[in-house]
Amino acid sequence: MMEIRNISKRFGIFRALHNVSMRVQAGEINAVVGENGAGKTTLMNILFGLLPPDAGTILFNGAPVRITSPAVARRMGIGMVHQHFKLAPALSAMENIILLAGRGLISGGRRLVAARAAEWQNRLGWRLPLDEPVSRLAIGQRQRVEIIQALCAGGKLLILDEPTASLAPMEVEDLFAALRSLAASGTAVLFISHKLAQVTEICRRITILRRGDAVYTGELAGLTHAMLAEKMIGGNVPQAISRPPPPVGGEARLALADVTVKREASIVLHHVSLQVHSGQIVGIAGVEGNGQSALVECIADPTLPAAGKMTLSTTRDSAPQRTGRRQLLAIIPEDRRTDGLVPGLSVTANMLLKRHHQPPFARWGFLRFSTWRSFTLRRMQEFDIRCPDLDTPVGALSGGNQQKLVLARELSDSPEFILAVNPTRGLDITATAFVMNQLVRARNAGAAVLLIHADLDELLAVSDRVAVMYEGQLSDTDWPHTSRESIGRLMLGVRA
Amino acid sequence: MKIRQSLLSVGATVMACAAAFGAVLLVLWACGYPPLGILHRWLIGAVGNSYYISNSLAETCPLLLTGLAAGIAFRSGVLNIGAQGQFLIGAMVSVGLATRWQVTPAVMPTIVIAVVGGAVGGGLWAVLAGALERWRGVPVVLSTILLNFVAFYLVEIILSGPLQAHGTSAPQSAEIQGRYWLPVLIKFSSLHIGVLLAFCLAALLYVVNRQTVFGFQTLVTGLNPRAAQLAGIPVARQQMTVIFVSGGLAGLGGAFQVLGVTHFLIANFGSYGYAGIAVALLGRLNPLGIAFSALFFGMLDTGALRVEESSLGLPHNIADVVKGTVLLVMLLLLAFINRRRISPTAKVDAAATEGR
Repeated sequence: MMEIRNISKRFGIFRALHNVSMRVQAGEINAVVGENGAGKTTLMNILFGLLPPDAGTILFNGAPVRITSPAVARRMGIGMVHQHFKLAPALSAMENIILLAGRGLISGGRRLVAARAAEWQNRLGWRLPLDEPVSRLAIGQRQRVEIIQALCAGGKLLILDEPTASLAPMEVEDLFAALRSLAASGTAVLFISHKLAQVTEICRRITILRRGDAVYTGELAGLTHAMLAEKMIGGNVPQAISRPPPPVGGEARLALADVTVKREASIVLHHVSLQVHSGQIVGIAGVEGNGQSALVECIADPTLPAAGKMTLSTTRDSAPQRTGRRQLLAIIPEDRRTDGLVPGLSVTANMLLKRHHQPPFARWGFLRFSTWRSFTLRRMQEFDIRCPDLDTPVGALSGGNQQKLVLARELSDSPEFILAVNPTRGLDITATAFVMNQLVRARNAGAAVLLIHADLDELLAVSDRVAVMYEGQLSDTDWPHTSRESIGRLMLGVRA
Repeated sequence: MKIRQSLLSVGATVMACAAAFGAVLLVLWACGYPPLGILHRWLIGAVGNSYYISNSLAETCPLLLTGLAAGIAFRSGVLNIGAQGQFLIGAMVSVGLATRWQVTPAVMPTIVIAVVGGAVGGGLWAVLAGALERWRGVPVVLSTILLNFVAFYLVEIILSGPLQAHGTSAPQSAEIQGRYWLPVLIKFSSLHIGVLLAFCLAALLYVVNRQTVFGFQTLVTGLNPRAAQLAGIPVARQQMTVIFVSGGLAGLGGAFQVLGVTHFLIANFGSYGYAGIAVALLGRLNPLGIAFSALFFGMLDTGALRVEESSLGLPHNIADVVKGTVLLVMLLLLAFINRRRISPTAKVDAAATEGR
């Protein structure tokens, strides 16, 4: 149905895509997988008319086409669902759909679009409240609105960019069922992901990109996970490091007792109690936006108003009073760009963000930059951070290197308590394995780790105990003696 | 890379100044004024002889201090645009301590007390805005500008009451006795010692910004307050310190101006506070840059007086036209440079860090 031949794209000296060819068949679910920077998004942007290719041709139903803008793509029947939804929150779902269909000026056109949206809803068996403002819809519902929006372009080809990133397991199942039924009715689906398990579950054909090259394109049947991962990375998949059973009777490093937090008159944390012991990883699962950020803020900044009691205990005695608390804590925040790093400042400055005022990095209130450089160089080697030089602004580093920098800063002085929030967001397989291994290593060395993570599989792989957060309430599970499915149900508020 | 960038920004600023000056002269030429004659008089009036030079430097002093006030605040993300009010309050406290509220008749102590008092007065006036934000959630950018009006009328009230000169009904303070004036560096000029101190403060702030824990923490706070807070930097306390220092610098400017140049105070005491914002922006918030831009503005103002005195019929406000044009041209240039600098790399970055 759609075929691309020898597509190449460069940005300056950076080769984003090189002679990539692939075919998308009608009625099939196709996958494009690859690490960060492999060229997935560039390829999709070319197919959707957001970027022109430097070379190569695109054939649509056998005829060469030039997709010069998203509007052109939509006219051809191509729709795209973006990883970060591009809906206007203040408008209703239907208004958003009409907005993109481009016929909003005439009421007849609006009716037409509404009818088409209703038809797609019927076909997928969905009942979305399309007249509600998007801001009142849950994440999963918003994604469905985007899918309907994309399908209203004609439903020939549906491109989904990392569609499962923020969904609970059950929602992922529902999404896959919908994609299967779409494929069965003749729509071609192009599914972009770096989660191989999901790809192998629903796709028939796969294209693997690595540094701009299509290293494999064809049937998925007969390929194992390990083979796929190897093709994707171009080397061996890093192994998870072993996790000896947690020590019995490790002391409680963090204890929350009956903590309740209110924000703007609504309660965001309901009587949360929690203990994290040394040598233990406690995982908190949950769909995003269920109070995780309030929990993080409340632990990170005890001056914020909260009811209940929180204690952080330590074996070290002589921490300087004023900043002592922060020195005990390692915080790997959810959004490294806004919370963890200062993108405009250099690698060195960011590496010293937490310790710049302590000797030997400062004396008598004056900074001693010579010590900064050697410290930074050491940490960069230890954590394999790659950057042109130490004065590079952190904003120019790749996501993986940025996260490694945060880890290097937070984990290097063997902290006793680690708070990590979605630490692998946006990272590829290699970087993800690195990050998770660092957390396990710290745990093995006796740190207490609280891991708040939206990716259930990664969470379950490392956690010694798991609790689920739903609408501000925390419910404990007896993981590993409980099933993944029952945790998934708790994430959606369904009590077992 | 760093050096190249700073050269680029200095070059852009100088170009902006020259281009703006040229543009204004061009307009004047189109209106029938002789551009070269104007330029000549302007230069003479700014740097023509030691008298004019010392006047230019004296005019630089309040601009430099209010510029530093705005610069240090903006750099730390504290949008203090109330240097005008802090300047006035500083001048008022200072003139009070040197006249009616004098603590001791001794000369040196009186001058020191008046100077320090002016700075502290300006600082506390700014802290008022900081406290409103800290405990009542009023944005500093609003409270500081509103407090400018409060300061203006407060000073007028005090100048019509406790500090009013005898034998007048105008809101005006008594003249400070000659022995309490700031010492001058060159006889019969207005080049007072405060000018020297202001330049020293600029150098000091440069070192503080670059080399100290305080400078680093306020920079981080200004660039990313959330990250600063999470990194354990006492953001609230630092910002309060910054706003006190910022207001103190503006207040010091007021104190120097009244003790060194005017020797008495009226409520309508020039708009150095507002000009300071422009000075800080032109100096790119860097204390050394601010020193140069204050010098430039000071020379513009002083030179324009000579232009006005000539028979051309141009008011000295033409200097303000040049200042405004300079800022506009510079903003345009910066926008241009940033676009050029960001676009290619941003694309590579976007492609390299796919998915975000």
